[in-house]
Amino acid sequence: MQTFSLLMDGFGVALQPMNLFYALLGSILGTAIGILPGIGPALTIALLLPVTITVAPTSAFIMFAGVLYGAMYGGSTTSILINTPGEAGSMMTALEGNKMARSGRGAAALATAAIGSFVAGTIATILLTFAAPAVAEIAFYFRPADYFALTVLAFTSMAVVMGTSRVRGFIALFIGLALGTIGIDEMSGQPRLTFGVSALLDGMELTVVLVSLFAVGEILYVASRYRSNSDALIPIKGQAWMTKEDWKRSWKPWLRGTALGFPMGALPAGGSEIPTMLSYTLERKLSKHPEEFGHGAIEGVAGPEAANNAAAAGILIPLLTLGLPTSATAAVLLAAFQNYGLQPGPFLFTSNPQLVWGLIASLYVGNVMLLVLNLPLAGIWVKLLAIPRPQLYAGILVFATIGIWGVSGSVVDLLCMVVIGLAGYVMRVYDFPIAPVLIGLILGPMAEVQLRTALAAGQGNPAVLVSTPLSAILLTIAMLFLLVPILLKRLKASA
Amino acid sequence: MPNNLHDVPVTAQAGGGGIAAPRPFWLAAIVIALGCVCLYAAFGLPQGARYAGIGPGLFVTVAGAGLVVLGLILMVQIARGERFQAQDAEDASGSEKSDWPAFFTALAAALVPVLTMQAIGLPITAMLSFTLVARSFGSRKTLMDLVYGAIVGVVAWVLFTRLGLQLGGFLPIAGF
Repeated sequence: MQTFSLLMDGFGVALQPMNLFYALLGSILGTAIGILPGIGPALTIALLLPVTITVAPTSAFIMFAGVLYGAMYGGSTTSILINTPGEAGSMMTALEGNKMARSGRGAAALATAAIGSFVAGTIATILLTFAAPAVAEIAFYFRPADYFALTVLAFTSMAVVMGTSRVRGFIALFIGLALGTIGIDEMSGQPRLTFGVSALLDGMELTVVLVSLFAVGEILYVASRYRSNSDALIPIKGQAWMTKEDWKRSWKPWLRGTALGFPMGALPAGGSEIPTMLSYTLERKLSKHPEEFGHGAIEGVAGPEAANNAAAAGILIPLLTLGLPTSATAAVLLAAFQNYGLQPGPFLFTSNPQLVWGLIASLYVGNVMLLVLNLPLAGIWVKLLAIPRPQLYAGILVFATIGIWGVSGSVVDLLCMVVIGLAGYVMRVYDFPIAPVLIGLILGPMAEVQLRTALAAGQGNPAVLVSTPLSAILLTIAMLFLLVPILLKRLKASA
Repeated sequence: MPNNLHDVPVTAQAGGGGIAAPRPFWLAAIVIALGCVCLYAAFGLPQGARYAGIGPGLFVTVAGAGLVVLGLILMVQIARGERFQAQDAEDASGSEKSDWPAFFTALAAALVPVLTMQAIGLPITAMLSFTLVARSFGSRKTLMDLVYGAIVGVVAWVLFTRLGLQLGGFLPIAGF
C-alpha cells in the first residue's frame, strides 16, 4: 500500500494550481501539435527545453507529459477528419477513421478515438503506477555490466526495428554514437573529435541534433516535394456520438489495444508505431465484420488509438526506472532530466519522490483534461489547419532557430543546424530512420561510461561484461536481434 | 548534389516502373568518410588505460570502424541495385519530383541565421528566414511575409527574453 500513499502525495503535487496550469498548458500544446503537420511531440519538447530553465522541474515534466499524451489525442482528429495523420502513431487511425467520417460517422470515430485514448491512457497509467516502483526496485541491483548490456540491447533493437533496412538503421545508430563522443571525455578529461573548435568541447547537444533533424530536415524535404493537400475537412456537425452498437464494438479493441501498446511502448522498439500497426492487424483478424475493414470499421479506430496512448505511458517505465529512452520523445525527455542535473533511474524514486509521483499523478489528471479538451472541442481544434502551410513551416523554422540559438548562443550550433538539417533531408530521401541517431547520441555516452566502469572493476577482463546472469541474457537477446533476421533470410532462400 | 548518377544504367527493372534507378554511391562514400574522420581522430587518443583496459579512444575507434564497415556494406547493396523509397511526410509525397529552387530557397533560410544572428539580432533574422521559407512553399506575398516574420521575430524575442532565455540584443549592429 506504500505505492498508494505515494501516489496520493503525488496528487497533492499535481493538483497544486501551478502544476494544474502546466498540465493544461501541456495538454493544449500537445493537442495543437498533434493536429499540426511538421511538428511532433519530440520536437515540441526540445523547443520547450530552453524555456523551462526558469520553471521548476516538476512543473516542467508535468507539462512535457501533457505534450506527450496530447499529441496522441490530437493526431487522431486530423487522421479522421482529413486523412492526414498528424503523428506516426495515428497512421492506422486514418485508414478506418477517415472512411467512417466519409460515410457520415465522423463523430462516432472521434468519440471512440478520444474515449479509447482516455481508457487506454488511464489503464496504462495505473499499470505504470504499480510497475514502475517494482522495476525501480529491481534496477537497484543492476551492475554496470547489466546497464551496458541493456544499452547494447536498446541499440540493436532500435536499429533493427526502426525503418526498412537494417544497414541503414545501424548507420543512423553509429552516426549518433559518433556524435555522442564529441566533446570532453567524461572519464579522462580529454577532448575528442573537436578538431580544435572550442564550441564543440561541451559536446553535441541533443536539442541541436533533434531540432535540426526533425525541423530543418523536414522543412527542406517538404519544401522540395511540397504537395498542397486539397483534401477538404469532413464536417461532423449535428452527428450523434457513439451508439450502443459502437460501444459494444469498441470496448474490447480498447482493452486489447492497451494490452499491446503498454508493454510494446516499454520495450526499446521506437514508441507507438509498431503497437498501433499490430493492434490494427489484430482487430481485423478478430473482427466479426472483417469485410468492413477498409470501409470504416470502428474497431480499426478504437484499437490503434488505445494502443498509441498506452504506448505513450509505456515509454515512461524504462525512462523513469532505468534512464533508458525507447523513442525520440523519450530521448528528449532524458535530455530534459539531464538539463536539470537529474539522472532518471532507481535512485530518482528515492531522491525525488515529489517529481516522480507528481508526474505520474499528473498523467491521470492530464487524461481527464485531454478527454474534455478533445471530445467536445474537436471542431475548434481542426480550425488550426486553416493556418496556410507556407507561413506554418516558416514559423516552425523560426522557432527551431530560436530553440538552437537559445541553447548556448553559439554560431557553431547554428552552422550545425544547417549541416545536420541537410543530413536529415538526405535521410528522408534515402529512407534512413531518424530515431536511432538520437538514441545513439544520448545513450552512447552512457553505454561508454558503464562499459569502462565495468571493465575497470573487472581489471580490464572483458569476461566481466557477461559475469551476471542478466547481462549475459540481455547480450544474447541483442545478438539474436542481429542474427535471427539474417538466419531467417538464409532459411527462406534455401527453402 | 544528389541524383547526379542517373547515367548509370540498371539492367534489372524492379516493380515494372521501367525507370532506371539511380545508384547513389556517394551516400555510401559519405558514411565511409565519416567513419574515416572518427578513425583519424581516434589515432590521436589513447586506446588503453591503466585499470579499465580501454581508454577514451576506443569508443571513437568502434564508432568509426562501424561506420566504415556499414558504409562498405551499403556500397555493395547499392551496387546490387538497392532501391530507396523516399519517406512520405504529411505535406509531401515521396514519389513527387524534387523542386530544386524551392529546396535551395529553404536551405538559404536555414543559412541566414548563421550569417546574421550575431550581427543584426534575432528579430530581423527571423523576418528574413520566415520570408524565405514561406517563399519556398509557394507564397508570393513577400511584403506580407516580411511583416508576419517581423511580428513573429519581435514577439518571440520579447517573450523569450522575458522568460530568461539569452537571445542576444534586439538589434546588436545598432547597439541595442
